[in-house]
Amino acid sequence: MTGPVPTEAWIVLSAALFLIGAVGVLRRRSAILVFLSVELMLNAGNLALVAFARQWADAGLITAMSGQTVVFVVLAVAAAEVAVGLGILVAIFRQRHSTDVDALSEVRL
Amino acid sequence: MNDPAAWVALAPLLALAGALINGLAGRAMRAPRAGIVATAAVGAGFVLSLIALLALAGRDDRSVSVALWPYASVGGLDLSFGFLIDPLSVLMLTVVTGVGTLIHLFSIGYMRGDDGHARYFALLNLFVAAMTVLLLADGFVLLFVGWEGVGVASYLLIGFWYRTRANADAARKAFVMNRIGDAGFLMAMFLTAGAFGTLHIASVNEAAVGMAFGSATLGAIGVLLLIAAAGKSAQLPLQTWLPDAMAGPTPVSALIHAATMVTAGVYLIARTAPIFAMTPFASAVVAWIGAATALVAAIAAIAQTDVKKVLAYSTVSQLGFMFVAVGVGAYWVAIFHVFTHAFFKAALFLGAGSVIHALGGEQDLRRMGGLGAKMPITGLTALIATLAIAGVPLLSGFFSKDAILLHALTSTHLDGYGTTGLYGVLLLVAVLTAFYMFRWYHRVFAGRFRGDAKTFAAVHEAPATMTVPLVVLAAFSVGAGWLGLPAFAFPNVLQGWLEPATLGGLVSMPFDHPALWVEWLLLGVAVAAAGVGLGLGAWVYVARDGAPARRFGDGAVAAFARGGLGFDAAYRALFVGGAQGAADGVAVLDRDLVDRGLLGAGTALGTFGRAAAAIQTGRVRTYAATMFAALVILLLLLAWTGART
Amino acid sequence: MTLAALLIPLVGGVLAWATPGRARGAVAVLAAVAAFVAALFLPTAAPVDVAWLPAFGAGLRLDPSGASSVLVLAAALAMIPTVLTAAVRVRERTGTFLGLLLIMQAMLAGLFLASDLLAFYVFWEAALIPSLVLLGVFGGERRRGAVTKYLIYAVSGSFLMLVSIIAVRVLSGAESFAFHELAPAARELDAVTQGWLFAGFAAAFVVKLPLFPLHSWLIDFHRENHPSGAADVAGTLYKVGGFGFFAWAIPLLPDGALVLQPYLLTAAAVTALWGALAATRQEDLKSLLAYASLSHMGLIGVGLFSLTEIGLAGAMLLLAAQMLSTGGMFLLSGMMHARRGSFALDRFGGLARSAPALAAVSLFVIFAAIGVPGLSNFPGEFLALLGAAQASVFLAAVALASVIAAGVYGVNLYQRLYQGRQVEGTHDLRAVEVAILAPIVAGVLWFGLAPANAADRIDDGARVAVHGPDRPVPAEGGAASEPPLATAGGER
Repeated sequence: MTGPVPTEAWIVLSAALFLIGAVGVLRRRSAILVFLSVELMLNAGNLALVAFARQWADAGLITAMSGQTVVFVVLAVAAAEVAVGLGILVAIFRQRHSTDVDALSEVRL
Repeated sequence: MNDPAAWVALAPLLALAGALINGLAGRAMRAPRAGIVATAAVGAGFVLSLIALLALAGRDDRSVSVALWPYASVGGLDLSFGFLIDPLSVLMLTVVTGVGTLIHLFSIGYMRGDDGHARYFALLNLFVAAMTVLLLADGFVLLFVGWEGVGVASYLLIGFWYRTRANADAARKAFVMNRIGDAGFLMAMFLTAGAFGTLHIASVNEAAVGMAFGSATLGAIGVLLLIAAAGKSAQLPLQTWLPDAMAGPTPVSALIHAATMVTAGVYLIARTAPIFAMTPFASAVVAWIGAATALVAAIAAIAQTDVKKVLAYSTVSQLGFMFVAVGVGAYWVAIFHVFTHAFFKAALFLGAGSVIHALGGEQDLRRMGGLGAKMPITGLTALIATLAIAGVPLLSGFFSKDAILLHALTSTHLDGYGTTGLYGVLLLVAVLTAFYMFRWYHRVFAGRFRGDAKTFAAVHEAPATMTVPLVVLAAFSVGAGWLGLPAFAFPNVLQGWLEPATLGGLVSMPFDHPALWVEWLLLGVAVAAAGVGLGLGAWVYVARDGAPARRFGDGAVAAFARGGLGFDAAYRALFVGGAQGAADGVAVLDRDLVDRGLLGAGTALGTFGRAAAAIQTGRVRTYAATMFAALVILLLLLAWTGART
Repeated sequence: MTLAALLIPLVGGVLAWATPGRARGAVAVLAAVAAFVAALFLPTAAPVDVAWLPAFGAGLRLDPSGASSVLVLAAALAMIPTVLTAAVRVRERTGTFLGLLLIMQAMLAGLFLASDLLAFYVFWEAALIPSLVLLGVFGGERRRGAVTKYLIYAVSGSFLMLVSIIAVRVLSGAESFAFHELAPAARELDAVTQGWLFAGFAAAFVVKLPLFPLHSWLIDFHRENHPSGAADVAGTLYKVGGFGFFAWAIPLLPDGALVLQPYLLTAAAVTALWGALAATRQEDLKSLLAYASLSHMGLIGVGLFSLTEIGLAGAMLLLAAQMLSTGGMFLLSGMMHARRGSFALDRFGGLARSAPALAAVSLFVIFAAIGVPGLSNFPGEFLALLGAAQASVFLAAVALASVIAAGVYGVNLYQRLYQGRQVEGTHDLRAVEVAILAPIVAGVLWFGLAPANAADRIDDGARVAVHGPDRPVPAEGGAASEPPLATAGGER
């Protein structure tokens, strides 16, 4: 096997990761795992972005940097989000000694 | 204002000034002073009216306009205030202020000792001010100002002794009945403005003559004006307030509810004569309403036991005569009867007042009698007035009533509307009038006294302030008719004076004068009617000492007549009950249906909101699943549409 | 001077709020009097045009011509006794009360004077706040419900109006929200579009007028307001829905008005009769006055929706006049409450004996309110109904029946309060009460006897409403060439 891995392969991987993440979000009740699953979906998106960026850069339509820049922004935002999200989770855990998302419905009207 | 005839424009102002003085400073005024101020205010108006009368009599151009101020001018409709001084208004003014002065004078004695006498005189002056405005107005709107003004004054004076509930109720009834008439007046004005673009009476009259003869618009305006006139002049079906209005002090009944205000309806129709001259239909309605009212009221008058209510029903009946006169197109005749009626009816009411005063408030005919001997002046003046209203020849009522009968029979204006029937009804009423007036006089002044002896011993003739007006009014009850002698044989001053002012030379109202012997015959028939009525009275009350009357009086028929022929009861059941029911319904509906209904709409929205809120479980995973599902659906949609393009 | 009519009460209100102690009453009354004097000069004042949101084409444009000056003047006159009453009768947080009254007056002046649609809307909404706070803070026991109802009605109507305001500008393609630019463009829109836009305006104006069946807030509003009656007067002045139709909806969208005329005219006639009938059966003084006022609003409505110059002018004349007569009635009701601590009619009776002057003034104001000619309400009522009769004789007759019912509730009221046997006496008018009633009496006589000047100015506005703003004002006597009772529909 020579040559670079084709874009299709990367997209299939990305879709698989996204699905795994989505199922995790839907099935898991622990807030931590839901969080992890969300991160997984986010990074599935990142992977697709990088893959497409490479393909279009090879075609000479854009520079490879442009897709990767977006990924960096997403990573930065995700990091910030994790910081805030984990903070909230810790606070919730301290209050009710559980991170079961189904038990958290106070915000409803 | 160099024209002496125009000075009379100050009459309303004088009366208003009197009202303000007594109204604002009344409590500072001692007993006779308030009355003197009020009498002087009206007396000055009378002098001005006389000056105007003489000034107009001495020249050919008998119409003076006095512009007052611009009331409003909107959308091309000019509603400026102005006075019209012409033979019609000046004659009426002279009667109103003249009779008014005498009644003010009478009131000084009558109201002495009443703690509200300053208020009384203020209101009486207010009435005169409004009445003079009504008479002088040259436009419908200003006329309406006076029209409601007299209604307000009448309301306040009927309820003068407001502490008694019945008086306040009577006042309220009069006001509301008048308001019904006023609504008719307003609607008449709306149609008039729509049809002619003006509410200036002279312009409307001119424009009306330009319309097609018998046009529907004019007919509608005429009928609406009739509703207005019927309200103010207590004609069917709005007549029931006037007998109740007797709750007011007796001089008020004499001035407002006999001599002046109630004739305003007749005046209104005479003022708008060209409209009626162009619509025989509306005129016929006027005439037949008048005839029916005359008959109904005359029957009711026979059965009354209250000294004032006999006179009240008599007034309603006589107003019916006047309506017949305006209906058949004999406008000057109607005003002629207004003129003579003012004197003899005022004399009768003041006579009744003098009696009530002497008996310490007693008003029941069954406890009177034989007072003529004790009160010679009151008795004699009442006798003269009684004979005048009964139609005894050479007294004033004879001439004016005969003229109405003659014109009712010979009118060509109402051809096809049954003038012979009108004549027959009026002739019957003339008989009844003579009968009930004989009864009234006999029950009060002749025979023996039926009350207790102590009261009778205290009876005395009234003081001079009260007897002088009586004598003057009695004198005019005799002489007033000579101004309008039967035209076929004598010079008739009034016809030539009034006819140009009512019809304004715009239309002519020809009468087919019958042969001379027929006129004499009709005159004889009228005399005979009075004779029959008086003779019947003499038979019942003198020859048989009232026995037939007593037998009749206990029966159901008499009770029915005493109650005004059931109109009050019917109205109470139909309209008062109906209106109150409707109002109750509205009041309840407003709370229960409209309010709750709208609140219900709000509640329904709230329910929907809560149902919608149920989707919001608060479970993150549900939300995520929904989002995911929606995303999938969207993607599928996109893929599908993408595949199609 | 135009700006002064707005700024004097505004500054006065803030000052009265800030002034400590008893002086604030004097400050407030002085401000009210000064505002009235300023309003006297409005007829000769110049229009104002201050840039505000030039990007939106909105400006603080004030034009004292037409009906505006009359309404501002009548409101300013009614405000003097109202402020005086509040200064005397409101015991707690007097400064707040006075401040709110005067700020409300300023907002109303802005509303009447505005010749920019967006500015009009802003004043419209701004005036709501003081009246809400007056009810919410100073109202009676059940004020919360009343406030909620009032707010919901007002806000939902106003929202639809805002949609129409924006749409009318966008659809007509006018340069700005200024009346003189908006009106010619909007009048060119087709009838269907105009109908929808008019409906949006009508949603706000009908609620605020109010017309049956959207009137129930009015009854609660008056029943629950402060017993001095001062807040009720402010509320009465704020019944500006009729003015909205007169100054904006009808002149901008005459064809739309024509589309909705049958419904609105019917609703107005029903309102007039409904209110008057309901008023005859009330046992509570304030409820009676609220229903009577509703009936007047119906009469204003029939004048407006006749879409005739006479009817429109009559409606505005009545709107101005009822500020004084209805306002006077509410102030008198406050005086009755001060004497008995209640509005229940069966607590009164026979008071003419111990309080003859109070009885006389009350009867005077009652007669003014029920439209006795020579007093304030008659000219407007007369012209409004006259106009209505040109549009529909039947509906005019329905509305006219309210005049009879008004006679019933008017004399009933007087009888219940002052006639009959007196169970318990009371004191007659105090000096301050005389001072409170004097402006009312003067205003009632002014509008009743010599409304010519006011009518002329209002007629200018009515002519614009019927014929459009671009039409030159006819020269003296030139109106004769017009059919005098032409309707808006006849013009097109």
